[in-house]
Amino acid sequence: MLVSSSASRKGLNVPSYLFLLAPAVIFMLLMYAYPFLASIVRSFLDKSGAFSFENYLKTIDLYTKDIAFTFSVTLFNTACTAVLAILLAVYFRIRQNRITKILSAIYKLPLFIPFVVVAQMMNSFLAPHGLLNVALAQLGLIDLKQPLQLFNFAGLSFGFLWKQVPFAVLIMHGGFQMIDNSYIEAARSAGAGMGKVITRVLIPMNKSSILVSLVLVYSQIVGTFTLPYMLIGGKIPTTITVDIAHRVNYFRDFGVANALGVFSYLLVLLTAWYYLKTKLGETK
Amino acid sequence: MKRTVFVLLLALLVAFGGFAGGAKESAKTRLIYMTAGDTNMLALGQNVLGPGFQQKYPNVSVATIHTGPGNAGSQRILEKILAEAEAKKEVWDVDVAMVHEIFMKWAMEKDLLLNYTKELETWKYVTSPFVKTSLGVKIEGYGMPMFHSQTALAYNPDLVKDPPKNYAELKEWVKKNPGKFGYNGIKGGMSGVSFVVGWVYAETGKYKKYAVEGPFEKDEINTWEKVFNELKEFNKYVTITGGNVGTLDALNRGEIWMGPVWVDMFFTFMNEGKMDPKTRLLLPEPGMPGQPMFFVIPKKAGNAEMAKKFVEYVTSPAVQAKEIVQRFNWYPGIDGSYIKDSVPPEVFNKIYKDVTPQDLQKKGLSFPLAQYFDAMLESYEKWIK
Repeated sequence: MLVSSSASRKGLNVPSYLFLLAPAVIFMLLMYAYPFLASIVRSFLDKSGAFSFENYLKTIDLYTKDIAFTFSVTLFNTACTAVLAILLAVYFRIRQNRITKILSAIYKLPLFIPFVVVAQMMNSFLAPHGLLNVALAQLGLIDLKQPLQLFNFAGLSFGFLWKQVPFAVLIMHGGFQMIDNSYIEAARSAGAGMGKVITRVLIPMNKSSILVSLVLVYSQIVGTFTLPYMLIGGKIPTTITVDIAHRVNYFRDFGVANALGVFSYLLVLLTAWYYLKTKLGETK
Repeated sequence: MKRTVFVLLLALLVAFGGFAGGAKESAKTRLIYMTAGDTNMLALGQNVLGPGFQQKYPNVSVATIHTGPGNAGSQRILEKILAEAEAKKEVWDVDVAMVHEIFMKWAMEKDLLLNYTKELETWKYVTSPFVKTSLGVKIEGYGMPMFHSQTALAYNPDLVKDPPKNYAELKEWVKKNPGKFGYNGIKGGMSGVSFVVGWVYAETGKYKKYAVEGPFEKDEINTWEKVFNELKEFNKYVTITGGNVGTLDALNRGEIWMGPVWVDMFFTFMNEGKMDPKTRLLLPEPGMPGQPMFFVIPKKAGNAEMAKKFVEYVTSPAVQAKEIVQRFNWYPGIDGSYIKDSVPPEVFNKIYKDVTPQDLQKKGLSFPLAQYFDAMLESYEKWIK
């Protein structure tokens, strides 16, 4: 207890449990907070190290469209994930039979597949003469001379949903499982149909895990590099992450890369704030 | 508190010191070879160059470390060496590295490299103009080329009977065959970048000024608006593919009929059965850029002498002929005439069939001076959005 007594000698009354926290806190500050703040600070420095808005002017000049594109991809996919994941999770909650058992084993598969593999998969699956188009052509649904063009918003969204819906289901499903059957039975005996049970009982009671899972999905989509890079890397518009890589790889321009980074922080800021709020609320 | 932290840090240091010391004690010299480039470069180091060199020098073990494709791979090597320099380490970990042209500029600016190539036995075989300057920076003495990478247009001869011979004809061709020409923009890999640079050379006719003689003048950039507006129009008729590999895949699947590729990747694909063997190459007028991959030795490399022997080994006519040309179908780093006799004629004819040595001489251009290069890439983003 030598440590805490030396602290109190200086007149500070620091509870000793703080010292137990110190390694974790120092690690967090050093490995997360410092790089985060440094990237913000450096986005305001020009090449000579002086304060300037140069990086932001260039970012707005060249990449406004990409920022808007990233935002729309993210919003669209988070919304789609919400609908699909809630439907699946509710289905798993309400029906428990052999089909759901098989499904619930299979749906977890994408969780263990890294994005780079997903990207390569989508690359050959969604290509104009890829598996999907060839299959559709075999069925006589499309003409292979005019295949579906999917290396764009649609294909990117397909890839994101394929990967993110299972993740959201996993979190939501846990929440739905916590809801006691008696609530559902009570609602039904009061005359509620299945639709009402879902919208009035299940979803409201599981609100926090639904929102938390969507916040996580949202921020993952903003930060994903490989999938957009491999599907629409050279296209216009593309995502912020591809632009960041481009600035660094071709120009060693960390200033604009950091400014782009700050825009992606802004995109996730709202949701991050909400996430922290709910998380802190839960611990109280 | 302070004392606890201090003791902990000390314990950590001792532990790390122990590990580091342990590694150094082994009797063999461990040659650390870091390579940028695609996975084929890793395979080359691990399966071919390393074992071959170890056979010659049994006391050496070559550890190949792969950093990834494109400039990003070279960038990672730079970060590593730069970090060691800035930490003022006396002996640096990386003994020899394989890098792109842009690395030479970055590393020369920071004075990170050893001046060594003229001491090599094999220097006399090198005739490429690329070893003198790279992106406008004098590099003679610092980089030894292992192979030359060239971009060219690959096309399917069944579908393209009369391929365009220059950029102007290509413009007409895409209008007649919309969507059948594909390239990967400028953010999806260097084959697309190379196509765009070739476009600027063709449209401005100022290759000499932009890539060889200079000087850099800002006013030049302002004259490019038309050049890139034309390219924007051109882009309306083309398919943007998903990367260097994306272009090759799309060609092979028949989605596009023509597109810019790296010749070395093209032949690797063909050797692995991933590309229709009928596919042909052509270098359109006035030419397209290429670049060598260079061996460099960091200034304070621990095993600089052994590293020189390694570079000498790889650039010897025998290894260049057998491994670089015959096995991988790449253009050699040393002058082709020194290897012609040791390579079967069918291999030699295969790689020089469509793009002849004369073509390479005339139309194998270099990338522009760094400032022009940056300006071209940024103009693309500025005008085509």
